[in-house]
Amino acid sequence: MAVTEEALMWVEKYRPKTLDEVVDLRDIVDSLKAFLKNPKTMPHLMLAGIPGTGKTTIALCIARELYGQNWRNFTLELNASDERGIDTVRERIKDFSRYSRAGFGNIPFALVILDESDMMTGPAQTALRRIMETSSRTSRFILICNQSSKIIEPIQSRCAIFRFSRLDRQAMKEHLQNIAKKENVKLLPEAAERIVDFSEGDLRHAMNALQTASAYKEGVVDEKTVSMVIGEASPMQVQKMIRKALYGDFMEARKTMYDIMGSFGFSGSEIIRQVQRELFKMSDLTPEQKAELSNIIGEYDYRLTQGANSDIQLSALLAQFAKFGKSIEESYDAQ
Amino acid sequence: MTRNDLLWVEKYRPKKIEDIVGNEEAKASFVEWLKSKRRTKKAILLYGPPGVGKTALVNAAAKEFGFTVIEMNASDTRSEKAINEVAKPATAYIALDSFSVGSKGNLLFLDEVDGIAGNEDRGGVGAIVKIVEQSRVPVIMAANDPDLDKLRPLKKVSMLVRFQQVRIPRIIVLLQKICLLERVKAEFEALERIAQNSRGDVRSAINDLQSLSEEDHVLTLQDTVMLSSRNKDVTMDETLRAFFSAKSIEEVSTLLRYSSVDYDDFLLSVSDNLPKRYTDPDELATAYNFVSQADVFRGRIGTENWHLLKYFFNSLAEAAAVAPESYKPFQFISPPIRIITLFWTKGKRTTLNNICAKIGAQCHVSIEIAKHSFIPYVKSILQKQKGGPIASWLKLTPEEVDFLIKMGRF
Repeated sequence: MAVTEEALMWVEKYRPKTLDEVVDLRDIVDSLKAFLKNPKTMPHLMLAGIPGTGKTTIALCIARELYGQNWRNFTLELNASDERGIDTVRERIKDFSRYSRAGFGNIPFALVILDESDMMTGPAQTALRRIMETSSRTSRFILICNQSSKIIEPIQSRCAIFRFSRLDRQAMKEHLQNIAKKENVKLLPEAAERIVDFSEGDLRHAMNALQTASAYKEGVVDEKTVSMVIGEASPMQVQKMIRKALYGDFMEARKTMYDIMGSFGFSGSEIIRQVQRELFKMSDLTPEQKAELSNIIGEYDYRLTQGANSDIQLSALLAQFAKFGKSIEESYDAQ
Repeated sequence: MTRNDLLWVEKYRPKKIEDIVGNEEAKASFVEWLKSKRRTKKAILLYGPPGVGKTALVNAAAKEFGFTVIEMNASDTRSEKAINEVAKPATAYIALDSFSVGSKGNLLFLDEVDGIAGNEDRGGVGAIVKIVEQSRVPVIMAANDPDLDKLRPLKKVSMLVRFQQVRIPRIIVLLQKICLLERVKAEFEALERIAQNSRGDVRSAINDLQSLSEEDHVLTLQDTVMLSSRNKDVTMDETLRAFFSAKSIEEVSTLLRYSSVDYDDFLLSVSDNLPKRYTDPDELATAYNFVSQADVFRGRIGTENWHLLKYFFNSLAEAAAVAPESYKPFQFISPPIRIITLFWTKGKRTTLNNICAKIGAQCHVSIEIAKHSFIPYVKSILQKQKGGPIASWLKLTPEEVDFLIKMGRF
């Protein structure tokens, strides 16, 4: 299982291996280290926060701190958004968590890392809660999620919760510059600025954008290349679609929607989740407007699960956005 | 895409019997029946697939032999009352001047008799039978599907003439003729493809040819690719036109029940064309809300709950009637926009998901995150480096690399 070859995607290559290497999350790292001094007292953990802020990295670091080189033998890493049904919980997690690892090392328990655990179904969460109780002598859980509110209360109360906030712009820029230096790439300051703007605190997007841009031009990453790379990426396309709709250009918005479906292969519900995510990043809308739009999205997200054609539901959603955009405009005119 | 205002199917509608392509035997027996002085059966039922020339034959023959056509088709109400009002007077007398000026008088033509509806056209079939029995003029009926139970009484009193699909080579010859007249340059393979795709339906072949040909452009086989995705929707444009110009919900409901268009294609086409119909954002949002509801009902119908079809129709009808007063004719969007996304067949989605799972395994992310936070970048990198070490580190097969490189270019 052990991967000896060097990672080639920079997100992996430069993923910190130990908690000491994690530079930007001082508070979280310090309290985790306190737990790890006496691992037997470590509780279940919940790491919550927006994507690309280091939650998975921290979880993997903990695994390495606990078990060293052979961490993979003692760790079950599951992605709840891929396998989120109750069967996974009952079979894989239950089997893995209930037998004892005592005698195989210093740590008497195995580790279950459950990424995107807020995507788990309700019944699966209830099943998980039982397993967390019954296997507490043999296993520890690290639940990773975007929104802790989507995890049922009984599970939350069994975990020590750590909240990850949006990465600081300055820290992100330094991070990107460090990597560029190690890769012998000159990252121009305005290009770094552009990547940071675009990624909205999501380091994964930022690093992938940097790596892609550096593949386009030998030795230097400039703003033009970055703009080209991120213009192609889906978050920008989704934002473009939302803006077109809100500014009343429905035809263009719908065309962008079909482009996004065509060039990225997203399903309807994947696009609608991205709309939700990108909407909250958009600074030209007030919190009230976002909340109202979010309600509309919720309605069409539901219809999407019932309907036959997701592109029709998405088009209908964009039409609602266009109507909303018009009402905003009219309220400005009235003032 | 249309080159001029006139539809080619109208422009090249057969004017003489000999202009009608194929079905020689059927044509001959029809002409013999029409010409004979003492008909053994007073009515004749022409049946067969659409677009093979049934209606054209009736009109061309009437012209050649000097009959005046009194026609009732599916767009007319055909209840007992309506038929008696229109058809009875038309069939009761032989024209007085029939011998003097060469006119043979009236001919009653009931097109699309299989479209006579159970409820709205109550008593229609019975009324027709009575008219046939009393008629002094030829009664001609046409239908696609003669096997319907409700048509049994009509079959009893009629001579049956069967029309078949027109053979492909004959359609190709016709298309070539039209190309010549319209100055369209086309590869033979393209015309062959159009003819094959029409499944013997001349009308749809001509429609397809017109929609695919552009000025100063040689029609190639490549241009015909989109044809495969559409079923025979000869009546799609007509149905859409009637749909969007409707004045009331009732009108649309009736239309939808009569139309033979495929529900799913129609739903997509309505969605495609909705923003052209409603340019005001409020109207569009309201109408799209109904289309969205219709789609939800379509989803609930699935393959078995057909009793829900009426709700599907109702929602669509409401979408058509949001603002009747704002209707202006417009050019329909066709072919369906959906074709772009047809690239994503189930197989290709699986391929993409497998790639995402591999990325997920190496980079500790879910398939969904791999899809939006990695694929766009990995794709660009691979396009730039033509595969290379990243591909092998991600454990992608050459086919998968190829798939990613080509992704998003269509």
